[in-house]
Amino acid sequence: MIEGVWLWITFVALALTTVITRGSFILIGEKGRLPPTVQRALRYAPASALAALIVPDLLLDHGHFQAFNPKLVAGAVIVAIALRTRNPWLPFILGMGVLIALRKGLGW
Amino acid sequence: MDSAFRSGAREGMRAFLPISVGLVPWAIVTGIAMRSIGLSELESMGMSLLVFAATAQLGTLPLIASGAPLWLIFLTGLVLNLRFVIFSAAIAPAFHDHSLARRLASSYLLTDGVFAAVSEKLRSSDDPQWRWGCYLVPSLYGWALWQVCALVGVLGAGAVPQDWSLEFMATIALMIMLVPMVRTRPMLLAALVGGLGTVLLRGMPLRLGLFVAIALGIAAGFAAEHWQERRAAR
Repeated sequence: MIEGVWLWITFVALALTTVITRGSFILIGEKGRLPPTVQRALRYAPASALAALIVPDLLLDHGHFQAFNPKLVAGAVIVAIALRTRNPWLPFILGMGVLIALRKGLGW
Repeated sequence: MDSAFRSGAREGMRAFLPISVGLVPWAIVTGIAMRSIGLSELESMGMSLLVFAATAQLGTLPLIASGAPLWLIFLTGLVLNLRFVIFSAAIAPAFHDHSLARRLASSYLLTDGVFAAVSEKLRSSDDPQWRWGCYLVPSLYGWALWQVCALVGVLGAGAVPQDWSLEFMATIALMIMLVPMVRTRPMLLAALVGGLGTVLLRGMPLRLGLFVAIALGIAAGFAAEHWQERRAAR
């Protein structure tokens, strides 16, 4: 765990990533233009990066591959809900419900 | 405050108000997630106010919890915020006639929701005051709503039992963001390569596998798009 001054330095570094990316073109004004090829490639960055953070949490248990586990089941439920409804609460309620039920109810 | 500013503000709020409801669970969850890795109330709200980027916050929390090096956290935040480079490029013409201070404020305040709600409207107006109202007022409202709900999550996190695996809510939040993105096959491929690649490359030193996998995912999506277009052209 990062603590104390280093934690706040970390927050400032992350704040910089917010302003650097959001301000990139707003701040330099008219002069800058992203090459169309780069712009097209960058469209895939969010999906790839989000999946890179999600999938390990669903498939790994303390760094070990676990093909079938409660989080993966909960994950499948969340995808199914997110595909069907735009309700912002439902995935959280049912996703956590499934995970807690499997872990505590079934002792998985 | 002139009438153009007010009329722009009304127009912007009318577009943003309905979708702003979606911020509420997100902000509460982000507040809870920060507390769940062991940040204090003050540290959590400090992060919320300084960073003001849920995806980057949720994505870097595990790295902060595990004591990862600063450069890795910085790069991860950068990658998670990359989509804003595209938003920034799209929305920049609306601010070219504004002062640096206003452009800096606009940058910090740029979010997915306001961008989706007002970017088309901003393009349609020649009046800088109208554009400023149409962007600033919904953005400030969204910012305030976000911080208040994050505070609710931060203060409420203690009431939830420890063994409820609340940190999983961060993953759920990221999934809700990812699902609507993968509507095309190249996008699905980018997500699969990025996700499974990270699992397969987890043995690489310094968690470099994360970046290699994300880069491979971007390349795979882009290549698939090219291939799809060439097949369609034939």
